[in-house]
Amino acid sequence: MSEKKRTTLNPALAATLPPTNVDDLLVSVKYYVDEEYAHIRIKDDRVCAECAHHPCLDFCPAGVFTQDRTGKILVGYQACLECGSCRIGCPYQNVDWNLPRGGYGVAYKFG
Amino acid sequence: MANKLTFDAIVVGGGPAGTSAAITMAKAGLQTILIERGRFAGAKNFFGGVLYTHALNEVLPDWQSRGPALERPVTDTGYWLLSPDSVLRFTQKSERYKKVPAESYTALRANFDPWFAQQAVDLGVLVITKTTVTGFLRDEKGRVIGVTTDRPDGDVYAPIVIIGEGVNNLLTQQLGLAKSDLPPRYVALSVKEYLGLPEKEVEARFGLSGPDEGVAIDIFGDVTLGLPGTGFIYTDKAGISIGCGLLLEQLVINNLKPYEILARFKNHPIIKPYLEGAERLEYGAHLIPETGYDRMPALYTDGVMIAGDAAGMVDALHREGTNLAMIAGKMAGETAIEAHKQKNFSAEFLKGYRRRLQDSFVLKDLKQYRRMTDFLDSTPHFMETYVNFANDAAYRYFTAHGMAKRDMEKEIIRLLTRRRSFLGVAVDMIKLLRGMRG
Ligand SMILES: Cc1cc2nc3c(=O)[nH]c(=O)nc-3n(C[C@H](O)[C@H](O)[C@H](O)COP(=O)(O)OP(=O)(O)OC[C@H]3O[C@@H](n4cnc5c(N)ncnc54)[C@H](O)[C@@H]3O)c2cc1C
Ligand code: SF4
Ligand code: SF4
Repeated sequence: MSEKKRTTLNPALAATLPPTNVDDLLVSVKYYVDEEYAHIRIKDDRVCAECAHHPCLDFCPAGVFTQDRTGKILVGYQACLECGSCRIGCPYQNVDWNLPRGGYGVAYKFG
Repeated sequence: MANKLTFDAIVVGGGPAGTSAAITMAKAGLQTILIERGRFAGAKNFFGGVLYTHALNEVLPDWQSRGPALERPVTDTGYWLLSPDSVLRFTQKSERYKKVPAESYTALRANFDPWFAQQAVDLGVLVITKTTVTGFLRDEKGRVIGVTTDRPDGDVYAPIVIIGEGVNNLLTQQLGLAKSDLPPRYVALSVKEYLGLPEKEVEARFGLSGPDEGVAIDIFGDVTLGLPGTGFIYTDKAGISIGCGLLLEQLVINNLKPYEILARFKNHPIIKPYLEGAERLEYGAHLIPETGYDRMPALYTDGVMIAGDAAGMVDALHREGTNLAMIAGKMAGETAIEAHKQKNFSAEFLKGYRRRLQDSFVLKDLKQYRRMTDFLDSTPHFMETYVNFANDAAYRYFTAHGMAKRDMEKEIIRLLTRRRSFLGVAVDMIKLLRGMRG
């Protein structure tokens, strides 16, 4: 996907979105974190530096992607819900996305 | 490894597709192994949602006597059209829905899927969890004869492999059956919260007379800020499932956070009273493939068949996915049984799987609604324009006291044309009809 197609949303509507801390939601999720294997990584930091809108910071439903003070994209894979959105949603296919090792990652209690 | 681990059939994935395939084959006496990456079948699975009993009847006719993990029968169902301050409800509640078994039940997948997989175990399937399938074993001619896993000495052999890996179809892509990854325009990202609320409270708020009644509502309009997508509210036994989904591309191009859209939805003046005091027990997210008939992967190759979300078998318009997955899994299983009888596992023989699907509602429905996602994508204003119009028109209709009714009608027409030209309306309607009629 290219970035030519940009926002169509009325800014007044966008302003009605309540700022929400995703961590308040994630405390309800059960994880078995694999400390030895990060199943999601950025392929090339230079591509992120060139990426104009950093959509991963927003669309990831677990807030896995954050930016440090230098602008570098950080990946907190431990919170990943394994939805797969970043694999296909990154406009530059710059996310190396794998399944966690068997048994690790999210384990829904209700689903 | 000294002894090759060999089965009659391998199933990848313990969702509705994989488990249905495994049950079907085990009942015919095939030695079947089902490999699931989660800690248990269902640990990774997440939906709205509603399960349809017609599919369970076909896969496991005696399911009722096996103590299925279901929440509530759906006895009140339909659509809400939500504008920023109003709702127009198109729902049906009927005594006709109150039969046993009901047509459909709400369910929670981390409860239902393990129950379903346990039925497979009881029928003789070997279910191996905490194991991720990583690739394929091939013979000298390149035909698939098994899978590799992330376990030490984890290779498993079988002449037939059925893949029910779900929407993130990495294995299907590895085989070249899916030509590319899912385009973000044809996939919805859904987030949901499961909220705990005492049974009696659920019943009082939704007008239910007891545990044998439940609601399933799909919601359009303001819930997704008018962007292509839907919201939903389903009643569980002692809780509410509330969520929303938007085409991923919309989230990307608008830099939107899905959980903020959900938070806004929960705060809507019409929605909020239903949720008062309910406690968030879980949050989650999952993709829904809306790739449609024209962009489905190839469904088989030598020694392999693909079923369920992995093959894009979702009818998003009717929120059906689990039933398509179950029926496809069953048909893949039946094809595998035939293949064993004929000792023929070639792609040529497995064509029979596609033929079975073509004769069933699975491919017929997918074909009929092939233009639906394109319709929403090319008409992104649709939800906002018509949902808000319908609410304004209804308000006018119900409050036009002391006004000549003809003037009221004119005003209602003006409410629409202020939003969209007559020609625009006509084009939208034609596109919608084409989307519905196929
Ligand atoms: C929010 C939401 C609401 C929905 N609502 C409804 C609804 O109301 N009604 C309805 O019928 N459908 C609904 N659906 C769709 C439905 O959930 C899916 O169509 C259905 O789950 C597909 O079943 P499946 O077996 O193909 O895939 P899944 O249920 O996704 O199962 C795939 C399984 O494979 C496992 N797996 C994947 N890769 C590997 C691997 N490499 N190795 C080992 N295991 C692997 C996974 O862990 C998982 O258990 C909804 C979906 C969502 C997201
Ligand atoms: S991961 Fe993709 S979307 Fe995120 S900043 Fe990098 S290039 Fe942009
Ligand atoms: S898979 Fe989903 S939850 Fe995980 S990092 Fe990617 S977008 Fe976020």
